[in-house]
Amino acid sequence: MDNTLKVAGMRKSFGKSLLFTLPMFLITFMFMTGGKPNFSDPASGLAMLTAFLLVNVLYFFMHYTGKTDRYRAVLFIIFALSLSYTLIHNMLEVRKSMSFSQADILECKIPFCHLVIPMMILPAAFTKSIIFPGSIISGFANISSMVVLWLVATLVLGRGFCSWGCFYGGWDDGFSRIRKRPVIKKISELWKWMPFAVLLMVVLSAALTMMPTYCSWICPFKAVTEFERVTSVESATKAGIFLSLFGGLVVALPVMTKKRTQCSFLCPLGAINSLSNKITPFTVKIDKDACNECFKCVGVCPLYALTTDDIKAGKVSLFCSKCGKCVDACSRNAIHYGIRGIPSGTMKNFSRNLFLFVSFLFMAIFSSGSIINTFHGLLKLIF
Amino acid sequence: MKKVKIIAGISWAIFCLILILILFPGLNSFSGSVSKLPFMKLNPRYTGGEIANQVIQERCTLDIRKPVFNGFLKERTSGFVQLDWHGTIPEMIKDSIDYDHDGNMDFCILVDRKNSKTVLDPISKKVKGVVISTPTSYGWAVRIGLLK
Amino acid sequence: MTDSLILGLSSGSACLATCGMVMFPYLMAGSSGVKRIAVDLSLFLITRFVIYFILATLSWYFGQALFSNPVVRNIVPGILYIFFAVMLIWYSIGKNRSPNCPAKIVKTINNNRLVPILLGLINSLGFCPALFIILTKGATQGTLVQSYLAFLAFFIGSSIWFLPLPLAGKIRKKEVLKNIGILATGLAGIIFLIKGITNLIGGIING
Repeated sequence: MDNTLKVAGMRKSFGKSLLFTLPMFLITFMFMTGGKPNFSDPASGLAMLTAFLLVNVLYFFMHYTGKTDRYRAVLFIIFALSLSYTLIHNMLEVRKSMSFSQADILECKIPFCHLVIPMMILPAAFTKSIIFPGSIISGFANISSMVVLWLVATLVLGRGFCSWGCFYGGWDDGFSRIRKRPVIKKISELWKWMPFAVLLMVVLSAALTMMPTYCSWICPFKAVTEFERVTSVESATKAGIFLSLFGGLVVALPVMTKKRTQCSFLCPLGAINSLSNKITPFTVKIDKDACNECFKCVGVCPLYALTTDDIKAGKVSLFCSKCGKCVDACSRNAIHYGIRGIPSGTMKNFSRNLFLFVSFLFMAIFSSGSIINTFHGLLKLIF
Repeated sequence: MKKVKIIAGISWAIFCLILILILFPGLNSFSGSVSKLPFMKLNPRYTGGEIANQVIQERCTLDIRKPVFNGFLKERTSGFVQLDWHGTIPEMIKDSIDYDHDGNMDFCILVDRKNSKTVLDPISKKVKGVVISTPTSYGWAVRIGLLK
Repeated sequence: MTDSLILGLSSGSACLATCGMVMFPYLMAGSSGVKRIAVDLSLFLITRFVIYFILATLSWYFGQALFSNPVVRNIVPGILYIFFAVMLIWYSIGKNRSPNCPAKIVKTINNNRLVPILLGLINSLGFCPALFIILTKGATQGTLVQSYLAFLAFFIGSSIWFLPLPLAGKIRKKEVLKNIGILATGLAGIIFLIKGITNLIGGIING
């Protein structure tokens, strides 16, 4: 009885949920339509309306059901798929190929992505320049705007960026949900430090070679975005690495472990975001008085961010991406969203409402462009 | 102290909420400010370097850029010089280049655009070989590897 | 030089993780302040530098004698790189790694003056895959100067980790540093594995 009451505490009535969705409704309406919905092109109008409804229905259900992760994941996965669709579609239209040419590099036309940021730091400090063949301010995915978006998102969400803002994370998040039970259950704790080792290597190698080495040699998401045209043994090796890492870390291992293995064991930006978890206002807290140490939360955490020791100590580790899976799994509401400075076990609803609004708003607006574009493409394909 | 911590925490969270609310409407303005930071310029290894000399030819223009030896802490011993042809470019490009402006030609270059073939005839010992030779949206670009 | 520096940096961290805690008490034994610590650490690093200088010379001369044929010059080092890189990756997997540091031998030495020099000697001659890789690299360089530069980069990369040794007692999360160091070593192994395969393919194509 006690448990039921606690879970019910996170749920809201239909009317209250609508009320909580209203600000999201208005803000996303303004951003998606610019205040003036345009239905002159029915396909565009319908795509926009679908994206708008999708975002707001998901947000409404987060409040109405009291569950976070399942609704976050829907938008997060659609975001990842739609971004890849948008990029590939653009490339096929402009270049007739998913690969970029030497001319694209020479003319600095490569879209910038946040994964380059760790590699930019040392060269920017020592040579006062950016080692990426993209555009500083103009055009699609320019360096300045991507840096601003990442900087603010990381400051506000910390590693929450990896579950609420990263347009790649949805890939392994999606694959990690395919099976009901994991095939591989035990993976050494050591591996979760791998992103820091990768970070160390790519930061140093990028500085020494003046090349974004992660993008050139490692990034698994090149397989679903764009990569260098295969013209030599070197570029073939690179393509082989991209495809095998995508197949292994983004598809096979997440399916077998039910964990986000690319994000847990490879991504160097995840390592930096983990460190920023120390300053962000939003955290996940453990109410030790309510916790009965069932460790369900440890089992469901997709990023190996929770251990039994963490639960006993009453603290989540810096790897937490605030996805909400553990929060949803806890029948006693002992693990919950919190705000730094507020003691655990108190102001749970306030903290959750504020966090959800901030994080979901970021994801909704950030993803809206590519989602509308994808829906538009699909509608054109169907009709 | 507990109350101070709570107030500080909530204030920080509210500040972050405001930050997210103004982020997207102000993105162009924020990006504009960030782009003006001293380190927000592309490394010459990517831009090809500044244009050092412009040669006006019959129907096209050849830009000879400054040699790039840019490294992390100090200049490297090997680098490149980039040449860009734009305008109405002939099928066969043939030019002699003095990239270091010492009055002596350093190399001759022949680009057969139709067959995408580039032949380099090095005169100076500092000239290593063709790094890149590719059609571009503005014409044709070539990077020649150099030793310092 | 880049890959040598990266190899040094990655293996240095793992080396420190394994041996640092053994070396620390000996380097600091009987220390009477910063000056003594600096002298001991300098002796340790100078010994390593001298050993690497000798190894750079020897490996290059051996390389000249053994790899005179241009095809052999690609194929044999390619195989060696692959072999040692696999060893390095194998080493980075926890259960395959020896928990003991060979520097423990200094426990039997009574002369405190000799300890940093002996530690430097043992540390630089420790038969670890990273050393084998840098020896292979030294052997395949075009000139002796290039061999020296490769070893110098390896020395700098691996030495950086020993500089904060006097502060070792104050580092709270040693286990984390050790884990990151070991994983970075494994990654360096992968880099050299790719290098080895590239060398081998290049050698076979040219042959």
